[in-house]
Amino acid sequence: MSATDQDPAEELVQGKAFDLRLFLRLMEWARPHAWQFVVSLLVLVGLFAAQLGGAWLWRLTLDGPLEAFHDGRLPRAEALRELYRYVAAYAGIVLAYSWLSYFEIAQLGRAGQVVVHDLRSALFEHMLRLDLTWFDARPTGSLVTRVTSDVENLAELFTSGLVVLVFDLAKVVVLIVLLFWLDRELALVVTAFTPVLIGVSLLFRGGARRGFREVRAHLAKLNGYLQEVLSGVRVVQMFHREERVGARFAGLVEPYLAANLRTLVLFALFFPAIGLTVLAIQGASLWFGGHSLATGDLAYGEFVQFWFYLAMLVDPIRDLGERFNVLQAAFASAERVFRILDTRPAIAAPEGPAPVPPRGGDLVFEDVGFAYVPGQPVLEELSFRIDAGETVALVGATGAGKSTIVNLALRFHDPDVGRVTLDGVDLRRFAPPALRARSGLVLQEDFLFEGTVRENLLMGRAGIDDAALERALDASCARDVVARLDGGLDARLTERGATLSTGERQLLAIARALAGDPELILLDEATANVDSATEARIEQATKNLLRGRSALVVAHRLSTVRGADRILVLHRGRLREAGTHAELLARGGLYARLYALQFDDAEA
Amino acid sequence: MRLLVRFYGRFLRYKARLAIGFAAVAATRVTDIAITLVVGEALNRLKAGEAPSFLPRLLAWFAAWGLAQALFSFLQRWCVVSASRFVEAELKRDLFAKLARLDFGFHDRTRSGDLVSRLTSDVEAVRMFLGPGLMFALGGLVMVPVTLVMLARREPLLTLVMALPLSLMALSFKLLYGRLHDASLAVQEAAGDLSHGAQENFAGVRVVKGYGREEHQAARFAEVSRRNRDDQVRLARARGLAHALSTGTSQVTFVVILLLGGRAILDGRMGIGDALVFIDLTMKLFWPVLTLGWIAGLYPRAVASAQRIEEVLGRAPAIVDPPGARALTGFDGSFRFEGVSFTYPGAARPALSGLDFEVPAGSVLGVVGPTGSGKTTLLDLFGRLHAAQGTLRMGGERQDELTLASIRAPLGYVPQDSFLFSDTWRENVNLGADAPLSDERLAELARIACLDEELARFEAGYDLRIGERGVTLSGGQRQRTCIARALAREPQVLLLDDALSAVDTETEARLVRHLRAAGAGATVVIAAHRLSSVRHADDILVLSADGRVAQTGTHDELVAAGGWYADTWARQQQRAELEEL
Repeated sequence: MSATDQDPAEELVQGKAFDLRLFLRLMEWARPHAWQFVVSLLVLVGLFAAQLGGAWLWRLTLDGPLEAFHDGRLPRAEALRELYRYVAAYAGIVLAYSWLSYFEIAQLGRAGQVVVHDLRSALFEHMLRLDLTWFDARPTGSLVTRVTSDVENLAELFTSGLVVLVFDLAKVVVLIVLLFWLDRELALVVTAFTPVLIGVSLLFRGGARRGFREVRAHLAKLNGYLQEVLSGVRVVQMFHREERVGARFAGLVEPYLAANLRTLVLFALFFPAIGLTVLAIQGASLWFGGHSLATGDLAYGEFVQFWFYLAMLVDPIRDLGERFNVLQAAFASAERVFRILDTRPAIAAPEGPAPVPPRGGDLVFEDVGFAYVPGQPVLEELSFRIDAGETVALVGATGAGKSTIVNLALRFHDPDVGRVTLDGVDLRRFAPPALRARSGLVLQEDFLFEGTVRENLLMGRAGIDDAALERALDASCARDVVARLDGGLDARLTERGATLSTGERQLLAIARALAGDPELILLDEATANVDSATEARIEQATKNLLRGRSALVVAHRLSTVRGADRILVLHRGRLREAGTHAELLARGGLYARLYALQFDDAEA
Repeated sequence: MRLLVRFYGRFLRYKARLAIGFAAVAATRVTDIAITLVVGEALNRLKAGEAPSFLPRLLAWFAAWGLAQALFSFLQRWCVVSASRFVEAELKRDLFAKLARLDFGFHDRTRSGDLVSRLTSDVEAVRMFLGPGLMFALGGLVMVPVTLVMLARREPLLTLVMALPLSLMALSFKLLYGRLHDASLAVQEAAGDLSHGAQENFAGVRVVKGYGREEHQAARFAEVSRRNRDDQVRLARARGLAHALSTGTSQVTFVVILLLGGRAILDGRMGIGDALVFIDLTMKLFWPVLTLGWIAGLYPRAVASAQRIEEVLGRAPAIVDPPGARALTGFDGSFRFEGVSFTYPGAARPALSGLDFEVPAGSVLGVVGPTGSGKTTLLDLFGRLHAAQGTLRMGGERQDELTLASIRAPLGYVPQDSFLFSDTWRENVNLGADAPLSDERLAELARIACLDEELARFEAGYDLRIGERGVTLSGGQRQRTCIARALAREPQVLLLDDALSAVDTETEARLVRHLRAAGAGATVVIAAHRLSSVRHADDILVLSADGRVAQTGTHDELVAAGGWYADTWARQQQRAELEEL
């Protein structure tokens, strides 16, 4: 699948209860932690053995010293001594059992989580390498779901899903074998009823899944309407329609309630149905067992042991349906996750990437054409060059293709036609991160991450010391912004730097670009209005940013345009005029008119 | 706690269900005991050497108890959970009704995601605790004394010793609870960090890629993921400990039974056939105790959720009908602002201040000014969406003495964001009208709003679905639908908040002509960025950035006077020319 495929069906993957292909791929991820799973399995085996052993001891005690004393075969003192021995052994088993039951939860949880962590980290890293177009086609919320709930569903697969399911099935088989060994007649009774038990459980599984899906669908509608009314509350109140929307909401609550009640009936029926089946087994066992007890074919202790085993048999069968549902959800998630892991970015490093030239270098656009949507070109036959140290300003109306040129210069996209070169080498020959790391990017709506100011300025780049940061802060006129924050460089910024003003965020974005001392600047100037004092600082910061570097600037500031070595005037994806400010003004063409419109006073 | 008791009042409306449910929970436990006793009796008699001919009669009892148990088990779940579902639905309806009425100031300050979670997860937490949680825990407890009495009749000492680990278990839950709670809180927080970290990187992917920092950011995320893993492992350990403790105590009880029961059998104080009864009843006895642990876990969350629900339910809307409010009658469509100011709660400076002007009946008022000058807020005041200072008169009457219904009934409002519901076009327009509109009337409204031709192109016509699961209308089409909706009210006052910004100039001219014809006699207030929209207004209010009236006058007067209006007009004219290129 190519990276540009838009895939709205991603969310709708339903998943099978078992999918061998997906299962084998998941096993690949579990393999490095195989011993975790071996230990988990050993714990389960140990628990099961202790359970079996406990029931066994009851039988031995009942049929041994107690029975013997009862029949007068053993004196009381000796029977008591023997009883104590059994009690001691039983206490040992019980302790082992309790000890192991800690690991049942702790170890299985651990085994699932270590795999999940690996998978989640790898998935996230892979996603960050995918193309921008891939991100643009998908709502952020659903991408977040991939690395959170989908991956967590996979954890369920490892913990309460597969391991336990496999083990449960093994348990059922072992128990039935043991039952036969204990008493053939009783075992036949149990095995005759077991299919009924399984049938009830599986029947319920299907119904529960459908029921939950229905409930979820109604709930989604309910919440959707609520969201909508909340975002349109001004209209609702201005039209005085509070009651009408309330009635509408109540109308949506009805089917939600009804779906819940239907699912409830299913649950309310399921437990008694399982209960009745178990009672039928017990009743039949009592009937047949009673007769065997009377004839002496069955010892009382054996019957008690049987009773224990029966209880042990019911739980895994009852949970069967639920385990299937867990598996199904997990496989649906696995499908979505692997689909992303299988997506290859179109913009990637070639085999044996060319080394990025150390410093300087001319950036050249050669007959570049580009369209986001086929047939609707954004750029056509665009050619220009930025010589080392030169500032080129892009000017044009909204939609003229200015930001797209910046995207191509950074190789966020590859041109459909023509090529972009650096020092004569096609950008496609470079590894994108290496190419981008040598440039400084300042976006119109720049993005600050949660974390300290320092982290935001460094972005994890090596070789930037505090002195360099200080220089960057000075040059970007952002020193006071940082000084004002509690903790200075180590002050924490909240989500998207919400505590800072728009202007302050812009200054920090410039500081971030400066900190790396880049040789090429890509600047998409912000258009938002800031107060005049901040405006003056941004102007100065921009000057410092561009001085002595090659730069491609989407310019909105008069000072930036005037200071540029060359101005490219774009109109509808084509280069219409090029030259210095003075030349273009003198020509009296498009630039002159744009200039009059956009830059003739401080307002714009 | 008091809050939960209050919420329980809502459950009490379903007294019959609760009573039956409660009885059924107890009855289920009792039948459970009865079944064990039947089995015990059979075994005891068989052990005593009795011939198995009595088995059919005992098995009949066994079946009867079994069927009764199935019935009670159905009833307990059905009655209790259905009552809780009814309460859930009611809570949701009440919360929604309250949210729709709460003033705009409240909505401005509250994130909608937070409100949605109050209606979903908070309601669910309260339902779970007060409904099934409480019922199963209390009903289950009924079983404890009954079982203990049953056991004590057979072997008092044994029963006494058995009760020990049982209370130990209840205690250990209390001790473990804090640890479990902390661990699960940590996991929840770490999960929040995870989704936040992912969200941030995906939203800021341009910066991440632009600096070539994919690997670095991935490493940071991996660190968060690793923390989450460690927290999860810690939680699993805490849960494992709780699990081991509860299994441990129940298992120890069996050891006690084996020891003391064995001795009692040897002493002849207990029949061998009673061994099974003890074992079985003990297993059943642990169930209600485990339930108690479960409900103790639900409690803190339920209290917190009840508080969050009450925050909404208990809040009084800031704007309500004043005491002794009159309905506005004989309204002519005129407004007068006398020293009106308004400051948003918590804002440092007023959004609007010192407004003094008159809007004569049937006149057209333009409202312009730079972004943030308060145009939208001013339009809000016409419908009293905010409580402003000063006096606003509608047809001479003080607005703050009138009922909200009568203030808003004569207004046709077109919002700046062109808000429409994800519903059919018909239903969206009907929102403006008091009764569903006829197709003829809809056709007329579509024509006035210059939408008739475009609607005719859709097969569904007026039943065209808009928004989610429907078609996406262009900005201009949305705006014109909003206009149709406002006109459906047959308004005396039309409030247009930048309502023509996405409509091309040609359509705008046509629309304005239609509006003049349709709304003849109506007062019109137009807030606009594009000055051509207010060009023909009788009077234009120019707001300054600090929310004051900077200039007033007609278009020609303002152009002649110079200043913000004249400058902006000139620039917009030039831009229009450029777009013609």
